[in-house]
Amino acid sequence: MTELDDINGMAAEYVLGTLNAAERAHVAARRLREPALEAAIVEWEKLLAPLNELFAGVAPPAGLYQQIIQRLSGTRAAGRPGADVIDVTRRMKRWRAGALAASAMAASLAIAIGVDKFAPRGPSKNLVAVLQKDAASPAFLVTVNIEQKLMTVRPVSAKHEVGKSYELWIIQDSLGAPKSLGVIDDSGPMLRSTLASYKPDVIESATLAVSLEPEGGSKTGAPTGPVVFAGKMIETSK
Amino acid sequence: MTTPPEITQLLSRVAQRDRDAFKLVYGATSSKLYGIVLRILHRRDLADEVLQEVYVKIWERAGDFDSARASPITWMATIARNRALDEARRKRPASIEEHPELLNVPSADEPALDLVLKGEDGRKLASCLSRLEPERRQIVVLAYCDGLSRDELGAKFGQPANTIKTWLRRSLAQLKTCLSS
Repeated sequence: MTELDDINGMAAEYVLGTLNAAERAHVAARRLREPALEAAIVEWEKLLAPLNELFAGVAPPAGLYQQIIQRLSGTRAAGRPGADVIDVTRRMKRWRAGALAASAMAASLAIAIGVDKFAPRGPSKNLVAVLQKDAASPAFLVTVNIEQKLMTVRPVSAKHEVGKSYELWIIQDSLGAPKSLGVIDDSGPMLRSTLASYKPDVIESATLAVSLEPEGGSKTGAPTGPVVFAGKMIETSK
Repeated sequence: MTTPPEITQLLSRVAQRDRDAFKLVYGATSSKLYGIVLRILHRRDLADEVLQEVYVKIWERAGDFDSARASPITWMATIARNRALDEARRKRPASIEEHPELLNVPSADEPALDLVLKGEDGRKLASCLSRLEPERRQIVVLAYCDGLSRDELGAKFGQPANTIKTWLRRSLAQLKTCLSS
């Protein structure tokens, strides 16, 4: 009997829809940084797409379009982008084609927006993670002082949705399901100590992901909304 | 009826923030996408909310659509299914008593796949699905179209969720082998 390897099995079940909430969030975060998984998901989407014929059309309620338009007008940028952020956006666009080492990108980004101004003070090394949907859209920048286990989350271009909250999660194989690092709705830099209980090697090899949750955050302790941004922790020279 | 090339054209205008084009895309595709989210969520209140989020995403990501990779309706259907599935995994299943509108949702009876699935890809998929045992085939279709989780499939078919997982992985492997032959 032919078996699917892990990547393919996970991708297939993700597309089929049978994963639970935590598994879906895990795959949604990993696909952003694993081209092989992303490719497998795209392939399965294509293979199973003919099944979309089985969905009969149902007219949505009148007035729904108007609500969508109101929503488009209602979204606002979290934080007012300053000159530094605009510079970052330009840099990110230039990097997009190259998609070079993420570490170089993150480290330069940290310098570009003057992360040191916001990073927790201390002589030890820092980690940085750029949380993004794709290389052109950095949404949050996270810096971590590994000794003090203090974390600064800085919104770059995240749009705040009315009635929703962004929640930050740490994902690492030894942790099993994603663990919450708290809601990140402030418009400016947020200093958090929610990493305190994690070991340095876990933090250093972690992926951070942001999901869109009901206002105030997930009520279940697991991500319940879509993962909208993710990025890997990278060491930055200081 | 708006053709796929026309919708592709409209999406490129949506990427340029053209609201007229967005309205036309909505008109051409919203009944299909609403059919998807309603069938997966079985609740109109949730489906209304999710459909709004789906179109906000289409507005924001129209520039990412690549017609070489998928048809525009497949691309939008994928966004709709993913969002509906995220929501379905979050909520407890609705009971019919609480939500009488559930009764109006198309039934989960196995359709005549070979009649419904169109085009070369569709016919091939129908033929490969027909080689699965009937119960396994039904599980695949129920998962894809009705958004049933492993637990829900297990309850329906009187099997532990782990057995469902094993069946699913084998069925999917079999499908893949058949489709690539």
